[in-house]
Amino acid sequence: MSFALTSFKKDIARWRQDYMATLIWLAIPLLTGGLITTLMGSDVKPHGTLLLVDEDQTFLSELIVGAYSAGELGELLSVEKTGFDEGFERVNDGEASGLLVIPDGFAVAFLESEPVTLTLRTNPSQTILPGIITNVTEILLDAGFYAHQLFGDEIETFTSMTEDPSDAQVAAIAVAIQNKMETVAPRLFPPLIEIEIVEPPPKEPTPPLALLFMPGIILMAVVFSANGLASDFWREREQGTLRRLAFTPARMGEFLIGKALAAAVIVGLVGGVTLVLGFLYHGISFTRLPTSLVWIALSGIVLFAWFGALQMLFSNQKTASVFSMMLVFPLLMAGGSFFPLAVLPGWIAAIGRIAPNGFMAHSLTLEITAAGPWSIPLLSWLTLILAAAIGLSICGWRLRAGFART
Amino acid sequence: MLTVKELSKNYGDFVAVDRISFSAGKGSVFGLLGPNGAGKSTAINCIAGLLKPTSGHAAVAGHDVVSDGKAARSNLGVVPQELALYEDLSAIENLRYWGKAYGLSGQALDGRVTEVLEYIGLNDRAKDLPREFSGGMKRRLNFGCGIVHKPPVILLDEPTVGVDPQSRARLFDMVEAERDAGACIVYTTHYMEEAERLCDSLAIIDHGKLIAQGSVDELRAKLGARDVLQLSGHFPVEPTKQAISALIERGNADLEFLAQEEDSITLTLSNASQHLPTIFEAVAGTGGNVTETSLRSPNLETLFLLLTGTELRE
Repeated sequence: MSFALTSFKKDIARWRQDYMATLIWLAIPLLTGGLITTLMGSDVKPHGTLLLVDEDQTFLSELIVGAYSAGELGELLSVEKTGFDEGFERVNDGEASGLLVIPDGFAVAFLESEPVTLTLRTNPSQTILPGIITNVTEILLDAGFYAHQLFGDEIETFTSMTEDPSDAQVAAIAVAIQNKMETVAPRLFPPLIEIEIVEPPPKEPTPPLALLFMPGIILMAVVFSANGLASDFWREREQGTLRRLAFTPARMGEFLIGKALAAAVIVGLVGGVTLVLGFLYHGISFTRLPTSLVWIALSGIVLFAWFGALQMLFSNQKTASVFSMMLVFPLLMAGGSFFPLAVLPGWIAAIGRIAPNGFMAHSLTLEITAAGPWSIPLLSWLTLILAAAIGLSICGWRLRAGFART
Repeated sequence: MLTVKELSKNYGDFVAVDRISFSAGKGSVFGLLGPNGAGKSTAINCIAGLLKPTSGHAAVAGHDVVSDGKAARSNLGVVPQELALYEDLSAIENLRYWGKAYGLSGQALDGRVTEVLEYIGLNDRAKDLPREFSGGMKRRLNFGCGIVHKPPVILLDEPTVGVDPQSRARLFDMVEAERDAGACIVYTTHYMEEAERLCDSLAIIDHGKLIAQGSVDELRAKLGARDVLQLSGHFPVEPTKQAISALIERGNADLEFLAQEEDSITLTLSNASQHLPTIFEAVAGTGGNVTETSLRSPNLETLFLLLTGTELRE
């Protein structure tokens, strides 16, 4: 096996001369991962502006303005009073999420149960915030309707007064309202509804989306580097070194093992960098790192062997290279490098897990999200070892069957 | 050192090498000559163990290349026609790698690598990458990688194709040095002048068959002392043939037709310069005309023409 070590050292020495390729293998996944993590992992809530044209300028219209600024709604919306023309122009320009116009006479119309029109114009280029504004406005209108149903007499008494109410009149109205509230309170506080509380089955905590992306991103680096390293069979053939090797007494099998080991180390390093960055960003325990690293290195051998076997089936380097690149992107897509399998519909995720890199990413997800290290099932390890053995055997067969000789 | 007996290689119905036999001894250069596609490379690949012969045998230093392939390959150094180097490994790393591929290790490897670097004149560039080398330096390194394990038999497959004259001369020196050191060298080429300079004995191969074999002097003797006369111009085919045949019948017994095309004829005869007027007269009588005359002494190129009827470099 001493020539396997020679072959291994030779490929490591050659790889050191070609660091640009390694940087590219690293840069694409890191850039993709960085963008996705920034988009998925941030805590920034949406925030919009509600423009309000208050032509009524009454206590009731102020109450509506206050309703939009209170509580959690206030965190989502800034209410800004404006004139009609300016507000209309700004919402048309997409500067605000909505424009609410409270017409002159709104309070009087409301108190006297006369029809009145509130105008709400929303920004069509947004979906969430205008929807919230519409729902809140409808709730406010419903609340006004029910207040009328409940306290209609008191409101009528109040509006029929021609002069300012005396203390006695105010007290009488307050008492009447109080009495009605006491009547309905048992139904409202709490509501007279029997509620059966059913505890949902305990659910495993769902890891953050950005964390679920991580294995796919790491496998992207592994796929790129394994594919790049596999093209070295053609490079060796083109520069005549494979043929020259066939003239020597060295065994082709040892040469191949050395190459596969070098691929494992290089893929391990490339994948290791992405792993460490991911572990640091997501705060994953470094006790998982050794297992994850071994899994990635072994995955690297499998992909290197199969990409190599595939490329050696073609009659020239260009065709082999084009075909393998054509294969890489669908593989990345299916294997969850662009969309984590966990968020895909079940049947698509099932297909993705059959893809080699999908299987590898799924097992890596288990490792980094499970309670403890060494969480990848033994069967998965055996599957990967078997896949490596078969892939390398095909490579060996191709090398001996003529690829190295021509 | 190298024995080839009745070696054949067929691809279906196509016979690439047809029962060739030759042998080469220690401290000699054996030339295998022939045009492109004659079967030289196939024969070399069979001897080197890259191809399994359809029939026949080849043995390197007494080891059969099929039944005892590993030992045969250990005793064989191959310098391929095309450069076969790792451009991204330094010269010394290339030599060390190929030395290990041939089973060298430890001090034996270190010593031999130092020796070869000196020998090929790359001692001061040992740590540089071949991609920074000139074409000639790469050729020397390519040669060095083939002999790093000090093989008793060296196969050189068209080593001077595309090589500048200076590097070619350097390569000849190295081949001669290896021969003087006791190696058995098999040198394939389609350059006759190289074969004449380097080879102690040679074989000419065409369409997979050995058509002549012997020392350079023996092969030259086949032509005798005849000159080669090549006439260019316009020559009606049949009348010209008849006119030349008539000349042969009229007492020019050593006159021989080597080749004829519409625009050239090639003849061989003794003292050709003295017979030029007669030949011109005969050609003129057929309606042909001569625009250019070339007269040269006999060499292997001429022999090849005599044996095959075609130029070697076609």
